[in-house]
Amino acid sequence: MVKRDWPDIWGGLAIALLGLGAAGWAWITYDPGTLRRLGPGAFPIGLGLALAGLGLAIALPALKRAGAAVTPEPWAAACVLGAILVFGLGLRPLGLVPATALSVLVSTLPAPRPGWLWRAVLAVLVTGLTVLLFHVGLRMTLPLWPRT
Amino acid sequence: MGTWDGLLTGFAFALQPGVLVYCVLGVTLGTLIGVLPGIGAMAAISLLLPITYYIGAEAALIMLAGVYYGAQYGGAVSSILLRLPGTPQSAVTALDGYPLARSGRAGVALFTSMAASFAGSVLGIVVLVLLAGWLSRAAVAFGAADYAAMMVLGLVAASTIGSAHPAKGFAMIVLGMLLGCVGTDVNSGVQRFVIGRAELLDGINLVALAMGLFGVAEVIGNVRDPGRQAVAGRIALRTLIPTREDLRRMPLPVLRGGALGSFFGALPGTGSTLSSFLAYAMERRVARRPERFGTGAIEGIAGPEAANNSAAITAFVPTLTLGIPGDPIMALMLGALVIHGIQPGPMMLEARPEMFWGLVASFGIGNLLLLVLNLPLIGIWVSLLRIPFRWLYPAILVFVCLGVWSVRGLTFDILMVAGIGLVGYLLALARFNPALLLLGFVLGPLIETNLRRALLISRGDPMVFLERPISAFFVVAAAALLVHSLVQARGRRRAVGAAAPDDGAR
Repeated sequence: MVKRDWPDIWGGLAIALLGLGAAGWAWITYDPGTLRRLGPGAFPIGLGLALAGLGLAIALPALKRAGAAVTPEPWAAACVLGAILVFGLGLRPLGLVPATALSVLVSTLPAPRPGWLWRAVLAVLVTGLTVLLFHVGLRMTLPLWPRT
Repeated sequence: MGTWDGLLTGFAFALQPGVLVYCVLGVTLGTLIGVLPGIGAMAAISLLLPITYYIGAEAALIMLAGVYYGAQYGGAVSSILLRLPGTPQSAVTALDGYPLARSGRAGVALFTSMAASFAGSVLGIVVLVLLAGWLSRAAVAFGAADYAAMMVLGLVAASTIGSAHPAKGFAMIVLGMLLGCVGTDVNSGVQRFVIGRAELLDGINLVALAMGLFGVAEVIGNVRDPGRQAVAGRIALRTLIPTREDLRRMPLPVLRGGALGSFFGALPGTGSTLSSFLAYAMERRVARRPERFGTGAIEGIAGPEAANNSAAITAFVPTLTLGIPGDPIMALMLGALVIHGIQPGPMMLEARPEMFWGLVASFGIGNLLLLVLNLPLIGIWVSLLRIPFRWLYPAILVFVCLGVWSVRGLTFDILMVAGIGLVGYLLALARFNPALLLLGFVLGPLIETNLRRALLISRGDPMVFLERPISAFFVVAAAALLVHSLVQARGRRRAVGAAAPDDGAR
């Protein structure tokens, strides 16, 4: 237990800000219309304001109460998201095989077991499976290797 | 079309080899996903969404539905053997299943859960057929105002019933609805929140959203999982056979759980997780010796398992007859149908009999398959529990990326998945429920369209929502739920304050 319910405070504030921002943006940019003929702005403005209210309703009571501690895993998150970025950005220039293998290697970085052999084996296995499933099986038109 | 004709059409359709194979694939994958803790039915269905582009709409729905109810069967396995719920719906099964397994009767617990799941599903199918026919006839009278009010009720129910923190649930729903606004407004053609990206003109990609929120966020949360220490031993087939005493204890809880699940499954906003908890509570209440619960009571497995399976099936009632998904998984199913250009509604039973009746028939076939396959194959499922997560998640990530990419061939969508995955992980850290976000995302545009249409028809008079009896009923029910949850929250706060007066001082 920690002194304040930080997840709710930060989460609520972020949500309130997002709601205010969306409502403000919609207010300036889109026509709210009339009650009889609602414009494109009406719904987003309403939702944004509701979100802002809800965010405050989450954050304010949380200021006065204790909450459970949160243990974020920034390294795990960075590697998993990094693996996706590597795959997404590498797919076109590198081709399916290198992009898959690289992405597997990046994503296994935070796994709780040391050693490189199993990572390499897994990269080969997953790459083989991916080529089989998506290239041979589903016939996706993707370059397998970098264009020379 | 009468019920019997419908069923005949349905079985004729669902038994075609080209359709049956997707049913088998769906239930097998579902069981697999259900058995493995860490990946839920939401993640599995979002992973499979792209594949549904390659097959017919009917087969796609049958496969995705198979994943859903298959996961209900599989979830019980890891609940019973490891006390790790494979799916949230099977969490209660662990309460009595795990003690049974510890006392050497794992086989009986597994048999009970499978048999109860099957019986609950059969009950659910009967209710689905009866209710769907009735509701689609009644729904012809529904106007835009009624639809909007009903969807709002569904969203209110989803975020308040059984939720410890309704405000957080609501916030997720509203955030989802706001995300649903992104893209070209269908009424006016105005581009909203597009931030200058042509890729966002059609709105945020449902597949990317679902995969980011569930696939990626769940992977991040489980990466550091060191593996399962307590791996169950082998389960001999002989140990599956229950005693006569066990058999005697099963039928009534199954009937009660199945009835309860069928009811709550069909209500929009309440789902199979809630019904399994309610069924457990009910079994405890009606039991002659409630103290047996928690130590290995057969009733504590039979009731909830029947309930979550029947609810998983009747959840299709509002989805197919009204086009309103009652829970987040149904929202994904609806998304899959919309991808195929099908908007379910009251006319669907008439216009697409293969779709509805084929699905009904596939429920029967799939559940039978699950029953006859799972009992002998239980050894394989148990050995699957030995695979550490680190061998699985890199492949999941690659499949997520390729799945999203396959929809439109855009790198933008893959990068979007990473961004949404980060948001999903942060939401999970702060204990927000991303499933509600998805529900809001799918229902938001439908609510907006119907709201605007209703106001246009009533010439701007908001009283239309109270003047029409159907919509008035939904509005009043939603308001009552809101008031109830507010009162409850206040009561809880007072109770907490009385129990721990020095909470703030620490």
